[in-house]
Amino acid sequence: MFDNVIIGQYVPKESVIHKMDPRSKLIIVLLFIVFLFLTRHPFILGMAVILTFTAFSMSKIPFGYFIKGMRFIAIIIFFTFILHLFMTREGTVLVEWPLLTIYSGGVIEGSLIALRLFLLILMASLLTLTTTPIDLTDGIETLMKPLKKVNVPTHELALMMSIALRFIPTLLGETAKIVKAQMARGANFSEGSLWKRLKALIPVLIPLFVQSFKRAEDLAVAMEARGYNGGEGRTKFRQLKWKPLDTGALSLFIAFAVLTVIFRFFE
Amino acid sequence: MNNSRSTLIMAEVAMMAALAVILDLLTFLRFWPQGGSVSLAMLPILVMAFRRGVRPGVATGLIFGIINMIYNPFIVHWLQALLDYPVAFAVIGLAGLFTIKGKASGPQVVISLILGVTAGVAMRFLAHFTAGVVWFGEFAPEGTPVAVYAFTYNISYLLPSMIVCLIVLILLNTGSRRILQPA
Repeated sequence: MFDNVIIGQYVPKESVIHKMDPRSKLIIVLLFIVFLFLTRHPFILGMAVILTFTAFSMSKIPFGYFIKGMRFIAIIIFFTFILHLFMTREGTVLVEWPLLTIYSGGVIEGSLIALRLFLLILMASLLTLTTTPIDLTDGIETLMKPLKKVNVPTHELALMMSIALRFIPTLLGETAKIVKAQMARGANFSEGSLWKRLKALIPVLIPLFVQSFKRAEDLAVAMEARGYNGGEGRTKFRQLKWKPLDTGALSLFIAFAVLTVIFRFFE
Repeated sequence: MNNSRSTLIMAEVAMMAALAVILDLLTFLRFWPQGGSVSLAMLPILVMAFRRGVRPGVATGLIFGIINMIYNPFIVHWLQALLDYPVAFAVIGLAGLFTIKGKASGPQVVISLILGVTAGVAMRFLAHFTAGVVWFGEFAPEGTPVAVYAFTYNISYLLPSMIVCLIVLILLNTGSRRILQPA
């Protein structure tokens, strides 16, 4: 039940992409996701393909990891392609069968959408494959800092997220322990009607919640004993470092965004 | 709210978000191709909302949503990503509008649980529904019944999830009142 559970998708490797600052990676993926949808121009799409595959090959992540995460998404891409293929009624008729006709416009439209989806998903998974969740949290915290002005407690949220990430394995171990303890008492989770299985969960959930709240209390006491009092003036053990590489990569993608807008206006 | 109490609540929010991730892994059914599953992932968010009110509930949902996006991403559009992950889970925390008053008796408690869970899950449904319309608006050809599809798709896993969470929550509260109503 608890074997081969992997939290997060991070694949440790020594690569340029792994070494990049999480902030620059986050901004890049954001830019890419937003601007990829503004364009249909073959030049820009070609550029997007090159950017994605360069980033992908630089990350040194085996292609198998992408395939594993893409099984479901491939179905979606395929379905959107098929939908467009049959529903678009533009261009010349390519195939004519009794029940369906395929127009050239449908092929173009379908492939365009499928390509964009594919690139977008590749880029988004590249971010989570090359960045540890803790680095992502730090990155998100810095990028969200402007929200502090409208009273969003960004520091507290980031701290809670790091604590949550840190305690997932601990609580997972605890869950396994409680499940085994109840099974030793004769509980049965995998047989019977849905109602029976639900009721069997209660003796697991109650100690799980009670223990988690106890853990939270201990943690809060420990934090206070070490003098934690809010985000003001707190320093960091792990510092994010913005490198020339980040500036370079970011300017490349800003160029991509600018070009997208330019091509859109002159189309 | 004094400082030590807020530290305690922060720690609780973090633990509940972690627990939501774990309960999400122990899924009953996961065969919805475009994300979504029947699991107890919403339970810790709802517990936190009933236990400490709207703000901690929303925070728990927000954190779980972001963690969920990191390890289980299904992103096709920036607005869809925002609505399907952080927003969808954060709004579940609105269940905290119906927190249980100290002296409430049995049936009253059950009623506020039902109201709260329904309100929270309805808001989550709205977020997924809007995201669905956004994503279809972007990808589906003209003339596809977008709203109908988004509606049936999302209700098909949210309704069972909601019923399961509600039942477990009521059973949980009969088993140990301290979980939803701390001293």
